Amino acid sequence: MAGTSLTVEPPLEGRGAPADPHLVRIRDLIYRLCGIYMPDNKYYFLGDRCGRRMKVLGASSFSDYLDQLTLGSNRDAELRALLNEITVGETCFFRNQPQVDALMKIILPKMIEAKRKAGYCRLRVWSSGCSTGEEPYTLAMLLMEASQSLLAGWQFDIQATDLNDHSLARCKEGLYSDYALRNTTAFFRQKYFTPEGDQFRIHDEVKARVDFQRLNLRDDTRMVFMKGLDLVFCCNVLIYFDGTAKRRTVQHYFNALLPGGYFFLGHSESLYGVNDQFRLVHFPKATAYWKPSSDAPPPGAK
Amino acid sequence: MNTAIRKRLEAQLRRLESLPALPVTLGPLRESLDRPAEEIEVDRVVQLVSYDKSIAAQLMRMTNSPLFGRKQMVGTVREAVLALGFWRVRDVVFSCQFPKIMSGWTKSVDHVSFWRHSLGCALVSQKLARLLRSRSAEKAYLAGLLHDLGILVNATLFSDQFASTLQRAKEQQTPLHEVEKEVLGLTHAESGRILAEVWNLPEDVATVMEFHHDVGAAPTAKDLVALVHLSDLLCRLREMGYGYYEALSVDFAGSPAWGVLAQHCPHLDRFDLTRFTFELDEYAEEVLTMVSNILGSNTNAA
Repeated sequence: MAGTSLTVEPPLEGRGAPADPHLVRIRDLIYRLCGIYMPDNKYYFLGDRCGRRMKVLGASSFSDYLDQLTLGSNRDAELRALLNEITVGETCFFRNQPQVDALMKIILPKMIEAKRKAGYCRLRVWSSGCSTGEEPYTLAMLLMEASQSLLAGWQFDIQATDLNDHSLARCKEGLYSDYALRNTTAFFRQKYFTPEGDQFRIHDEVKARVDFQRLNLRDDTRMVFMKGLDLVFCCNVLIYFDGTAKRRTVQHYFNALLPGGYFFLGHSESLYGVNDQFRLVHFPKATAYWKPSSDAPPPGAK
Repeated sequence: MNTAIRKRLEAQLRRLESLPALPVTLGPLRESLDRPAEEIEVDRVVQLVSYDKSIAAQLMRMTNSPLFGRKQMVGTVREAVLALGFWRVRDVVFSCQFPKIMSGWTKSVDHVSFWRHSLGCALVSQKLARLLRSRSAEKAYLAGLLHDLGILVNATLFSDQFASTLQRAKEQQTPLHEVEKEVLGLTHAESGRILAEVWNLPEDVATVMEFHHDVGAAPTAKDLVALVHLSDLLCRLREMGYGYYEALSVDFAGSPAWGVLAQHCPHLDRFDLTRFTFELDEYAEEVLTMVSNILGSNTNAA
């Protein structure tokens, strides 16, 4: 399906120095299998991360490594290992500012208006694959701030799930390095964190806003119980799934959302070829997927 | 457009002491390039381009820029003309002359933003047209480059009112043409049309200038209008806009322009828009570099 993408052929017009063609093919392979796109200006990064794996495997060239990724008997595990290298240490608070802007400046005001008309002043959010908690806590802080204005008088619930017990324990601990706060403004640092040595502890009032649960996204019986959500975040999780598992999981997300709700992926991820029930919506420097609703008009295209 | 608006614009334009003209070089060059391909004389084109040293220099620079996709550097104007092909020569020369086109009009529009948007839209229109195998591919670049010239007209004719229009658009984070309609009673689409007539620009380019915010109303060149409309939106969503945050949410696949394009481009249903937008982010950087280089060199020459 994804292989029919027109943007794969013809190649991009003159993009600076040409990268190793095998590295380009590794990039395209990652996009096709995982839906994560590494732009040309990230070839150096991609090459570096492939290099780490090549050292482990003793592969001497990108060509060798591409063979291992496509033909090797261990190719699935190897792809997973490479994805781990690519996404490691990526998470932080306020990781995707354009996504935050789209949510707070465009999506929420409209959603609040529509829901208020329906007489339902409650917002339900799910941070799926929440890792060590940066994403759900960011959402909690944003919604707490909005409680003074946009969400005055509203209730909101944030559910955060992950498969990894170790990650969940760290969420509950709530202690973060300076690096995890690299995108956090002084305002949020001072208001919601207390320094502890060279680390920062998130305040209990923020913790109290998030309900952490262990959940395996492949557990269909539990997934069908996720319902009535307005916003679902699933950043850099689906990249680890194969096509079938990805389609099934995305279908669960679709069912879990209320009509008019939004589904968010990580910065360079896409649902191309995975689901055609969601509508892709563009915002400044960000995209999200919208579950069509008969009450609300589709996002405007002028 | 309605006759009252046309009359008002024409009267205003007549009141300008001297209407900025299309740069001199562009007239004869356009004439010689508008002929059927077999009648175009390479020597005549080379001569016209070489006539103005600064144009010749800029043609070389743009020909060798990664944005125009040259793999081998060219050293002479003749090589550049042959390497690019006539359509591209016209596109590139119009681009080189863009600072000159802008300088005839008021300085109250930020030239860097305006040019970045125009050049970005030209490149994105062309890229999109090629990917979609559009029949309008040859015209897409020029139409994208010139689509917003009406902004310069409005900024000049209605200087104070236009300044407050722009200010209000920024504050409300709304599209410029919507606020123009409120404040001025007309938009840059209408004034663009009049300018296109005065400058005797090709009819389909004039149609794009008039209808790029109202695709459904275009009487002709519908696919070209739709193409530029979508590219314009994509640019504004990916940091090649008017220089301020527009609270846009766009469902491209559900937009009227998409429907128009689907009739003309059978490949559209296989087009991976998400990936295309990721690629635009790299484009934005290169476009800005090119704009600063050429605007910079132009200032030095003046």
